[in-house]
Amino acid sequence: MIKKSTLILLMLFTVNSFSQTATADSPIATSIKNTPSVVVERGPYLQTGTPTSVIVKWRTDTATESVVNYGKELGSLTKNETSKVLTTEHEVALSGLTPNTKYYFNIGNATEVLSESVSGDMYVITAPTPGTDQFVRAWIIGDPGTANAFQRQVRDAYYNYVDTTATNTGKTDMMLFLGDNAYSTGTDEEYQSAFFDIYYEMFKKSVAWSCLGNHDAYSADSATQSGPYYDIFTFPKEAEAGGTPSGTEAYFSFDYANIHVISLDSHHTSRAIGDPMYNWALSDIQNTTQDWIVVLFHHPAYSKGSHDSDIEDRLIEMRENFMPMLEANGVDLVLNGHSHSYERSYFINGHQGLANTFSLEEITNGGNTVGATGKGDGKEDGDGVYQKDSAQPEGAVYITTGSAGHISGGDLNHQAMYISLNKLGSCVMEIEDDGNGGQNMVIKFIRETGEIEDYFTINKTGVTITDDANEPKAEVGAESKKVLYVAGHDLLTITMDRNERLKKVKIYNNIGKLVKKSRKKTIDVSKMPKGMYAIEITTKNGTYIESVTIE
Amino acid sequence: MFYKKGNMQNGIKKALFIVMFSLLSAQVFGHGDLTKRINEKTREISESPKDFRLYYERGLLYQQHIEYTKAQEDYLKSRSLGNTDKALQYRIAEVNYLAGDYNAALKSITSYLEVDGSSDVKAKKLEAQILFELGAYKKSLYAYRYVIDNMRDLRPEDILEYCDIILAENDKNQVAALDAIESGLKLLGPNTLSLQLRKLDLLKNSGQIEKALDQYNYFLLEYDRREFWYYKKAMYLAEINRPKEAIISLKLATGTIDRLDMKFKNMNAILKLKEQIKSLEAQL
Repeated sequence: MIKKSTLILLMLFTVNSFSQTATADSPIATSIKNTPSVVVERGPYLQTGTPTSVIVKWRTDTATESVVNYGKELGSLTKNETSKVLTTEHEVALSGLTPNTKYYFNIGNATEVLSESVSGDMYVITAPTPGTDQFVRAWIIGDPGTANAFQRQVRDAYYNYVDTTATNTGKTDMMLFLGDNAYSTGTDEEYQSAFFDIYYEMFKKSVAWSCLGNHDAYSADSATQSGPYYDIFTFPKEAEAGGTPSGTEAYFSFDYANIHVISLDSHHTSRAIGDPMYNWALSDIQNTTQDWIVVLFHHPAYSKGSHDSDIEDRLIEMRENFMPMLEANGVDLVLNGHSHSYERSYFINGHQGLANTFSLEEITNGGNTVGATGKGDGKEDGDGVYQKDSAQPEGAVYITTGSAGHISGGDLNHQAMYISLNKLGSCVMEIEDDGNGGQNMVIKFIRETGEIEDYFTINKTGVTITDDANEPKAEVGAESKKVLYVAGHDLLTITMDRNERLKKVKIYNNIGKLVKKSRKKTIDVSKMPKGMYAIEITTKNGTYIESVTIE
Repeated sequence: MFYKKGNMQNGIKKALFIVMFSLLSAQVFGHGDLTKRINEKTREISESPKDFRLYYERGLLYQQHIEYTKAQEDYLKSRSLGNTDKALQYRIAEVNYLAGDYNAALKSITSYLEVDGSSDVKAKKLEAQILFELGAYKKSLYAYRYVIDNMRDLRPEDILEYCDIILAENDKNQVAALDAIESGLKLLGPNTLSLQLRKLDLLKNSGQIEKALDQYNYFLLEYDRREFWYYKKAMYLAEINRPKEAIISLKLATGTIDRLDMKFKNMNAILKLKEQIKSLEAQL
C-alpha cells in the first residue's frame, strides 16, 4: 500500500517536474523521461553567494553533464548554465544575477531534470549589495556532525523557529558552520551522513559557509588544500564575495548586506602575528567599510567547556594574537565551537589573559567590560542592550556554541561568560533596524527543545546616517591661518592675508604624483577626476601641504 | 493523562537510550583534551599490547600533543610489531622533523620516497623542509619546485616558503624570489595579499625604490580604505630620506581619516594611527 502510494507520488512529481521545465528555454525542456536515469546523491547546495553570483554543487551516482536551470519565477526557469564535462562532482557558477533577488532553480544533465522542488523550496536569494542595511538572519551551527538524534533535534528546533517566527518567516540568509561538521574524522562518508543528509532542506535555499574544525582536519589537509572539507566547500580565494583576497580557502572573508564576515583557520594555519593569515586578517578588517564585523573560527578564545582556553595552545594563540587586532578594528561578534557547550560572554574588550584575570569592571576603570550595560545580560528586558556607537566603537560578544550535535560538559565557569550552559542547541543571528537610524544585532540560543534559553542584543547607532561632519577642511597652514582654500566642483580658490604672497601651487593625486602646477589663486580643476588630492601651496613665507577633496 | 504499559516501556527505553547515547557520545565525540584520548588509547594498548595499530594511533595523539619523543617511541614500537604501512614511515619522518632531528628525518623521508612515494607531494614538501633545515638549499629548492609544480591547490604559504628557500640559497637572488612571487600571483590570483606584501618586502630589500613605491601605490589603488597604506608609504619615504613625499603621504593619510565614516574614527586602530602620523610628521 505504502509502496503504491509512493509510486503514485513519484509519478505525479515527475510529471509535474517536466511540466514545469517544459516552459523553460533550456536543453532539458524537450526531454521527458519517467524516472531520472542518474541519481543525485548529494545536494544541491549553495556556495560563495554574492550579490550577482552563486555556485551550485551536487553529486550524482554516475558521471554526467551539469545543468542548472534558473529563473525568477518558479514555473519559468528560462535561463540555464551548462557544463558538458562528464562528472559526478558538479559545480556550476551562476553569474550576472541581480542583487537581493530570488531565483528558483533545478539541476539536471543534458537530457533531464534530476532534482527540483515543485513547491518552490529550491532557490537562491542573491546577497544584497554591500552596505545595504536590511534584515539579515544567519543560522549558526557549531560542532554539529554527530549524525545522531541530538543533531536532528537541534536542527528541527531551528527549522521550527524560522518557520513560525513572526518576522521574515522562513528566511535564512546564510548558514555559518563553526567546524567539526562531520565526526569523527571528517571523511566524505561522514560528511554525507552528518552534514548533507541532515541539512539537505536548508542547503538548497541558503548559502553555507564554514571554518575548519579539528575533526574536519583529520581528513582535510590545509597544506595541500585537499581532502573532503576542501572538496566539499568552495570558498572565495580572490575576494569574489568581498573582502581581501587570501589566495586560500583556509581563511577568507565575505560581505553580506552591511555585514563583513571573516572566517579563520585556527587549526592548521599558523596563528602567529606577522604570518600570512594574521597579515591577511589585519588588512582585511582594516579595509572593510561595513557596519558589522563577525568573525568565526573553531578554537574558542574563551572557554571552560570541554576545552580550556587557559591551557590549550590554539585557543591561547587565537586570543593573544588575533583578538587585540580584531578588537582594535571594531569586531562585534566572535563565533567559536570546539567546546560542546554554549558559553556567551559579557560585552568585553581587551581581555587576553587567563580566565581568572577577567574583570567585570568597565574598561574605563581598568576592567574588561564596555559601556554602562557591558557587564549586564545584554537583554532589552533585562539589564539593557549592549551599546556601540561612533564615540564608543569598542566591545564584542564572544560565543562558544559547539553543542549543535552533542554536549560534553566541562567546568563552564569562565569569568568572561555571562552564561555557560551544557545544553544542546544552535544560535541565530538577526540584524534588524532599531527604528532610530541604527540597527540591532540580536542573538538567540535555541535549545533542541525549541526553548530560547539565552538572548542578547548589540545596538549600533548611526548605521544609516552619513556623517556630514566629514567635509574637507577649508584651511591650510593651521598654525598661521594665513592661507585658505575652498575646493568647489570646478574651481580651487586660494585666499591669503595681506602679508602673504602666492608663489606657486602644486597638486598631487591620491598616490602622491604631481598632476598640476599653477601660480594662480584660482585653479580650474573641472577636468580633474574626483577624489582626494594633496595641495602644496608655496608663499613667500613658507610652504603648506594639505589634503583636499575635489567633488 | 495515563500511559499504557507498552508506551511506558517504550518511554523508559527511550529515556535509557538517550542516557546511554549521551554517555557514549560524550566518549566518542568528547575530544575534550588529547590527554583523555591518550589515556584511552593507553588503556586499549594494555588490553591488546601486540596491536601495532594502537601504537600508531597513540603516536599520532602524542604528536598532536607535542610530545614528540613519546610519539616516536610509539611509531617505532608499531613498526617493530609489524606495521609496514607507508603512512607510518611518513609520520616517523615528520616527528623527527618536528623534534629537530633533521638527519633522522631525512633518512626516513628518503626511504619513504624511495618506496613508491616519489610523486607524493606532501612528502616532497617535507623533504624540502628537512633539507632546508640541514642547509642543503639547492636540494631543498629542487624538491620544493616539484611541490610547486605538482600540488593541486597551492597556498600562499607555499610560495612564501619557496621564496625563503631561494633567498637562503642566495640572499642576493631577489630576482628569482620575485619571479616565484609573480608566478604565485598568476596561480593564486593577482591580488593575493600575502604575496603582494612579500613582493613589497623583496623590492624594498633589493633597493628597487621606485618599484617599491609603485607597490605601495598598488595597495593604495586596490584598497577601499587607504589610511594605513598612506602611513606605511610615508614611513618608507621617510626611511629613504624623501621627506616631502612622506609629508604628502601623511597629509593624504590624515585627509583619509578625516573623511572616514564616524564609526571608524574612534576605533583604537585609527586612534593609534593618528598618533603614529603625528609622531612621524614631527620627525620630518
